[in-house]
Amino acid sequence: MIRQVSIFMENHEGRLNKMLKILAENNINIRSLNIAETMDYGIIRLILQETEKGIEVLKKNNIRCTLTSVLAAEVPDQPGGLSNLVDALTQAKINIVYAYSFLPKKTENAIIIIRVDDEVQQKAIETIEKISTVNLLDAETLLMK
Amino acid sequence: MYWNKSCECMPREKLQELQLERLKEMVNRIYHDVPFYRNKFQEAGLVPEDVQELSDLQKLPFTTKVDLRDNYPYGLFAVPLEKIVRIHASSGTTGKPTVVGYTRKDITIWAEIMARSLVAAGADSHSVVQNAYGYGLFTGGLGVHYGAEMLGASIIPISGGNTDKQIMIMKDFGTTVLTCTPSYAIYLGDALKKKGIDPESLKLKVGVFGAEPWSDSMRKEIEKKLKIKAHDIYGLSEIMGPSVAIECEAQNGLHIWEDHFIPEIIDPVTLKVLPYGEQGELVITTITKEGIPLLRYQTHDITSINPEPCGCGRTHLRINRLQGRTDDMLIIRGVNVFPTQIESVLLELGEVEPHYQLIVRREGSLDTLEIKVELSEEMFSDKISNLEKLEKRIALRIHSTIGINAKIALVEPGSLPRAEGGKSQRVLDLRKI
Repeated sequence: MIRQVSIFMENHEGRLNKMLKILAENNINIRSLNIAETMDYGIIRLILQETEKGIEVLKKNNIRCTLTSVLAAEVPDQPGGLSNLVDALTQAKINIVYAYSFLPKKTENAIIIIRVDDEVQQKAIETIEKISTVNLLDAETLLMK
Repeated sequence: MYWNKSCECMPREKLQELQLERLKEMVNRIYHDVPFYRNKFQEAGLVPEDVQELSDLQKLPFTTKVDLRDNYPYGLFAVPLEKIVRIHASSGTTGKPTVVGYTRKDITIWAEIMARSLVAAGADSHSVVQNAYGYGLFTGGLGVHYGAEMLGASIIPISGGNTDKQIMIMKDFGTTVLTCTPSYAIYLGDALKKKGIDPESLKLKVGVFGAEPWSDSMRKEIEKKLKIKAHDIYGLSEIMGPSVAIECEAQNGLHIWEDHFIPEIIDPVTLKVLPYGEQGELVITTITKEGIPLLRYQTHDITSINPEPCGCGRTHLRINRLQGRTDDMLIIRGVNVFPTQIESVLLELGEVEPHYQLIVRREGSLDTLEIKVELSEEMFSDKISNLEKLEKRIALRIHSTIGINAKIALVEPGSLPRAEGGKSQRVLDLRKI
């Protein structure tokens, strides 16, 4: 299971910039970022190289953040690579709440971050583990990639 | 526990006899000693002898804040200045402050009813009272101070503000009773959490909060954050200061000390007296005050009177918790809206901290209401759909309560202005009319 840092942010100029600067000044690398936006606000979702330290510096700077547990799946970087995974989840009637890509440095494969509802997370893990072409990653392995 | 059982639990018949005797004496006194009242009586064709029963009070003229201002500073005093031992004033939002004077006897009575109030809230001579009401012209600080001293509690006169010091003293001095405004109590609760101090580790047991209207749901929030029992105390400087009325252990309405004050509820528009149970403007007559006795003073506070006997044994009538002020009342598209109504809705939803701001605008000829609500940790979700559902739920509940479609804006936690000691500004009326 991967710990994603989620931040509620009002949709104002400079808000994202301020948050990114805090992470930069504290030498915390962002491994993946996703932004969901509405007219008035957005939710920033981050996978950090050092999650604990990241939370600490954000909180110290009065930016409240929450941890969300998500899944990371390594799939072949070729046509149909992701389709296999989503197909299996669909068969198992598991809805994907959101998903985004993770940029690995040390593998040719693609890595996708997936958020499913908490109550079906265990079922999702079992489903993904059965797919021969997909490799479910734990946090340590993911951050080495 | 009572401070003065024979007064607090006096049979109602006897209490009313006492009120009538004191009212007659008071009317006589203001007629002879305050030219303002003599003129008012004469204009209305009244003499003090017209008061023969308590219900005759309804014939007598009202007193308003404007009367106090017109007679600034000492015009309504009923005794010469040499008899006055203390002067307080309340800040006027426009122009001159409202000035009140107390004789030595007034100060003693004030301390007595404050001692009664503190005991009703659960304090005793062993209590350590941290008084975070402001000391000065404002009646809050000194009002609590004298009452706590009369009770024999240990009073810490720290006054308002300086949150770090408040917390240090709370911890180190073993405070058991906290007195301040409810919004500052929440602020202190948040500050404790920020510092990682568990309220269970403190000796704090009771809070006595007043000087601004607050809701039952806000009480729950304070009780949870500070791990105390929170009591509402009511008062206003024109009448005395805090301790005109207090919530007993039943926490269901505030006993108004009827051996010193006579309450009435009127329709704020027609000025007609309303029956028990109906909501309207609270009017108070002071029947023992010497310095500045006031006849049927219009408080602008909205409440109702509950005549039901109370389980605590006190016989004095209860006023229900304040619903706002006639002058805080927002009229949006012709609908009367009190900020406390909005607050109740937010807190009924169970997950929202009471940090919100109402913004009223006029767009074209239409009034709009925007409600900014801080997103608390409990209500946060990393799913946009959940946040959108939350906004819809709030909007729906607001609409079913006040009948107005409000725009709900979720804002970052900690982003709305906070009260440091003083009263928080929850309403921004940007309409230019």
